[in-house]
Amino acid sequence: MDLLDRYLQAVKKHLPWQRQDDILAELRANLESQLEDEEASLGRPLTSAEAEDWLKQFGHPIQVAARYQPQQYLIGPALFPFYWYVMKVAIFWVTVIYVIVAAVQVATQTPVGTNVLAFVLRLPGGLMNMAAWVTLIFGIIEFAAARYPGKFPTLAPPSADWSPSALPPLGQQFAGGKKSRSFAHAVTEVIFGFLFLIWWLLVPNHPYLLVGPGVFYWHTSPFQFAPVWVQIYWWVVAVNVVQVAWCSAELMRGSWPRPRTAQNIVVSASGLIPITLLLSVPGHAFVLLKHPALDQARYGTTLDSMNKSLYMGAELIFAIVVLRLAWEIGRLGLEAYRKRAAARR
Amino acid sequence: MTPSESHFENLRLELRRGCLTLAVLAALRQEYYGYTLRKALADRGLEIEESTLYPLLRRLEAQGLLTSEWREEDKRNKRFYRLSIDGERIFAQLLAEWQAINASIRATIDNIL
Repeated sequence: MDLLDRYLQAVKKHLPWQRQDDILAELRANLESQLEDEEASLGRPLTSAEAEDWLKQFGHPIQVAARYQPQQYLIGPALFPFYWYVMKVAIFWVTVIYVIVAAVQVATQTPVGTNVLAFVLRLPGGLMNMAAWVTLIFGIIEFAAARYPGKFPTLAPPSADWSPSALPPLGQQFAGGKKSRSFAHAVTEVIFGFLFLIWWLLVPNHPYLLVGPGVFYWHTSPFQFAPVWVQIYWWVVAVNVVQVAWCSAELMRGSWPRPRTAQNIVVSASGLIPITLLLSVPGHAFVLLKHPALDQARYGTTLDSMNKSLYMGAELIFAIVVLRLAWEIGRLGLEAYRKRAAARR
Repeated sequence: MTPSESHFENLRLELRRGCLTLAVLAALRQEYYGYTLRKALADRGLEIEESTLYPLLRRLEAQGLLTSEWREEDKRNKRFYRLSIDGERIFAQLLAEWQAINASIRATIDNIL
C-alpha cells in the first residue's frame, strides 16, 4: 500500500540511524499483519479514506519515531536546580552591572533621555546573551554526564550512602524572623565579590569594561573626572576587599547561616564616606573641563547641568544609605530589646 | 481538556505505565511478535497503543528482560519476543510487589467503605 510505505518512510526519517532499518522492518511486519486482519474482517481492501484513518490512529510519524529514542534532556532534573539557581544569581548581577554602567553613562553623557532609553533597550539583549551562555554551559555538562556517566560525579546523592546526622544543622530561627543564608548563597557571594573586585581593579586601565564603547566618546570629549573620583575609587576597592575577606572568613568559620546585621551596618556606614566626600566637593565640581580656557564658553552650560545632576544623584544615594543605616540600627536595637525582655521573663 | 481532566489523564497514564510493563512481561512468558501480543492483551481487556507497545518491547529487550529473534511466519519476517531468564526473575519479583500493593489498596478501600 502506497500510503503505508509513505508513512513508514516518514517515520524512518526520525528514527536513530543505527537502528532505523531494524525498527522499520519490525514496524512494517506489525502494521502489515494488522492491515491483513482489517481487510480480512471487511472482506475487501481498505479504501484510501479508510487507509488514511487507519494510519492516522497510529500517530504522527515524528511522534511514533520519538518513542524509540532514549529520553533526552537539554538540562535534566538532577542538574536543573543548580542551573536555575545560577541563572537567578546571574540575572541579578548582570542587571546590577548594567545599572551601574547605565548610571555612569547617564551621569557623564548627554542627552540623558537617549542614554536611559539605550540602556532599557540594551538590557533584555544582555540578559538573553547571559542566559544563552549559562544554558550552553549547563547543556554541555548534562551532555557530558549522560555520555560519560562513569567519569562525572553523580549529581543526585546515592540513596544508600547518606546519614541523617550528616545533614546540615536545622535552619536557625533568628530574631526578626530572618531566614538563615544557604551555603550556596554564601559561596556565590564570595565568588561574585571576588569577580567584582577583579573587574573593578581592571577598570582604570580598561575603562571600556565600565562604559563599553562610550569610552571612545569620553576620551574625545572635552570633559574629565575630578580628582575626588580617585579617592572614591580606592574607597570602593577597600570596602569590597573587606567584604570579600569577611564573607570568606564566615565561610571558613562556618558562621555563614547567621544574619549579618552588624556587617550590614558597617557596610552602610562605610558607604556614607565616599558619598559625603562627593557632597563636600567645592562647587560640586565632579566633572571638569580638560581645557577650561578654551571650552568654558562652549561647554560650560553642559558641564553645570552634568554636575548638578550628579549632585542630585549623590544626595539621593546619601538619603537611601542613611535610611538603610537607620533601619539596620533600629532593627539591631529592637532585637536587643526583645532579648532583654525575654531574659527578664 | 479542563485542568481537572488533564490531571486525571496524567495520573491515569502514570498508573498505567508500570502496569503495562507488568502485563507485557506476564504475556511474554509465551512467545509473541508485536501485533499478536497487542491482540492477546486486548483480548484480555488491556488495550495498548501500537506506538506505546512496540518501543516498550525494544526498551525491555535493551534492559535484558526479553530476548528476540527474527523468524519467517506466513511468508513474512517477524520479530518474536519472549521473557529472558533475567526477565523471568524480575517478573516474579514485580508480580509479588504488584500483588502486595494490590492487597494493601484493597484492604485500605475495604476499610474505608
